[in-house]
Amino acid sequence: MLPARAGFQDLKTRFSAGAGALRLAREPLFSTAIPAIDALLGGGIPYGTLLTIEGCGSAGCRSIAAALLAQGTRHGLGAVIDGGELYPPALAAAGVRLDRLLIVPAATPMALARAADLLLRSRTARVVVMTAGALRAAVWARLAKLAARTGTVLVVLAARASAELSVVAGVRLACRLERAVLRGTRGLWGVFAGFELHAEVRKHKRACSGEVLVKALTPPVVYGRDEGVSR
Amino acid sequence: MIACVRVPNYALGEIVWQEMLDALDAVTPLIEDAGSGTAFLDMHGMRGDPRVWSTHVRAELVRFELPLHIGAGPNRFCAHAAAWSGDGTVIESGREAGALAPLPLEVLELESGIIERLHLLGVNTLGELARLPHGPFVRRFGSDAARWHEHARGIDRVPFLARGHAVSIEATMLGEGSAESEAAVVFALRVLIGRICNDLERCGKRAGALQVEIELEDAQTDRFDVALAAATSQERAMLDVLRVKLESARFSAPICGLRLRALGLEEGGEPIPLLAGDEIDRANVAVVLARLEAVLGEPVRRAQIRAAHPLEERFAYEPFTLPANRPKAGRYGFGEAESTRLVPQLRLLEVTEIDVRLRRGEPATIGERTVTQCAGPWRIEEGWFTAAVVRDEYDVQLEDGEICRIYRQGERWYLRGSYD
Repeated sequence: MLPARAGFQDLKTRFSAGAGALRLAREPLFSTAIPAIDALLGGGIPYGTLLTIEGCGSAGCRSIAAALLAQGTRHGLGAVIDGGELYPPALAAAGVRLDRLLIVPAATPMALARAADLLLRSRTARVVVMTAGALRAAVWARLAKLAARTGTVLVVLAARASAELSVVAGVRLACRLERAVLRGTRGLWGVFAGFELHAEVRKHKRACSGEVLVKALTPPVVYGRDEGVSR
Repeated sequence: MIACVRVPNYALGEIVWQEMLDALDAVTPLIEDAGSGTAFLDMHGMRGDPRVWSTHVRAELVRFELPLHIGAGPNRFCAHAAAWSGDGTVIESGREAGALAPLPLEVLELESGIIERLHLLGVNTLGELARLPHGPFVRRFGSDAARWHEHARGIDRVPFLARGHAVSIEATMLGEGSAESEAAVVFALRVLIGRICNDLERCGKRAGALQVEIELEDAQTDRFDVALAAATSQERAMLDVLRVKLESARFSAPICGLRLRALGLEEGGEPIPLLAGDEIDRANVAVVLARLEAVLGEPVRRAQIRAAHPLEERFAYEPFTLPANRPKAGRYGFGEAESTRLVPQLRLLEVTEIDVRLRRGEPATIGERTVTQCAGPWRIEEGWFTAAVVRDEYDVQLEDGEICRIYRQGERWYLRGSYD
């Protein structure tokens, strides 16, 4: 093996081994408050980042987005651009302060883009969550620039990020379901308690890639007395 | 001392009466509108004696050209009785019972049936009423009789309720010609907002809403009510919100006049937490909410949790308003536990009917996909007194890993959402 290539391999091995513990120096980070994810992202998400959370079906993308919103609404405002799929009791269970969450109704891609543009330009919300509509590359580039300029974390949920979105994203996090967790026995006596996720950093402009397993669990509640997502 | 101004044979319109009350503001700041042409004036601390006050009141109301009865007494009822018995009557403090004794029962303004019953009992004056034993009289005539008996003795426990002062803040600009461009309208608007904000500051108030009346060359008037997310007296926030509102408006003719009015007035000043506060620029949020509404055609919403069993009824949306500025919830206000739970989120899907096959009473397949895990059923039954809703809900995991919430209603199965 050539010395340069050996050196490169060595460097790659060292960074991969310590990817989880890698810290981004002298840069303010937006913490998800989930230690495993924070460690995976090198301490958190840099402010002003366009973050994509990708995954199909029950991959846990919205659970991570809810955790970010919970952090965002702790001291400021958060915003969700919603096409009617939001279930607020589950957000509340995740710690999101609903009185500080702007729910912006937008059904069409055009409305989605305009709402995101306005929210980012105004610096109203610390975190803006939206789904990946069919938007042109120029629109994604503009939204990413606005996020960077205003220091807002823009979270885009997608089954798989399009090529245009992948290019402008500062961080790409891919999730997939590892296993569902059933509390109790099957059937009437069983309760779906949550799932175990596999999260992988596919792209990070300032840190190395890595992967981690995290659990998303509904707090145990008594049937009929719940206020959360499930019984 | 309380003064009573009474207009005998009251048949005034409400507007004239309110104008009379406004005129009485020059006599004393505390005026109670007792209705039916009667007003009480709190004269405590005012210069002069009842005769001087009476002259002052007449001077203020002379332009209405109405007969007036003015009386004064140590409390509301005594003042009323003094005005009732004759113009210029004054009942001195400590001599109430004696002054009221010869007056007829009609001063109490009771129903005619009650007065007739009292007459049958030989009670014709307030003095005779005052001499009746309190307990038996109240037992016979009910709880209201306690008040009549006290009034007859010159006691009035009803507190003085001064009327509120409606502050009206508005500014108008009417031009000879019409606005040539949008910039001219915005400039005029900026001038009007400047005046409104000056007035608000002078009164120590904030506006919760604005009303703009736009006069057009074709003699039409368009009116816009613009609610502000947070009451403000800031010029910039008002201008931005109004601009957004007007940008999305279309007019049938050129604009030739503007009138701006501040509504929803609140006391000025904003509570600022002593320790750490929120990082919310409230004026900025108000502008963004207005912009988003103008762009999207519907307001930004806020969710509220409700106690209900069906999933779709566990929350409701309402227009977003800013929460009160409060200190952080942590101990001593400058820190709190920074932990967040990762909680599965239910993604509500449009309710669609699905094809479910059962095995041993449990869903085994949904369409072409096999169910690998199943929890439930949980029965939701409600509204039996109206349209009964009986549902069996299940959480199922499918072979491709997706976890769904499905339910059976009657013989049909529906997909409600999926966990993500």
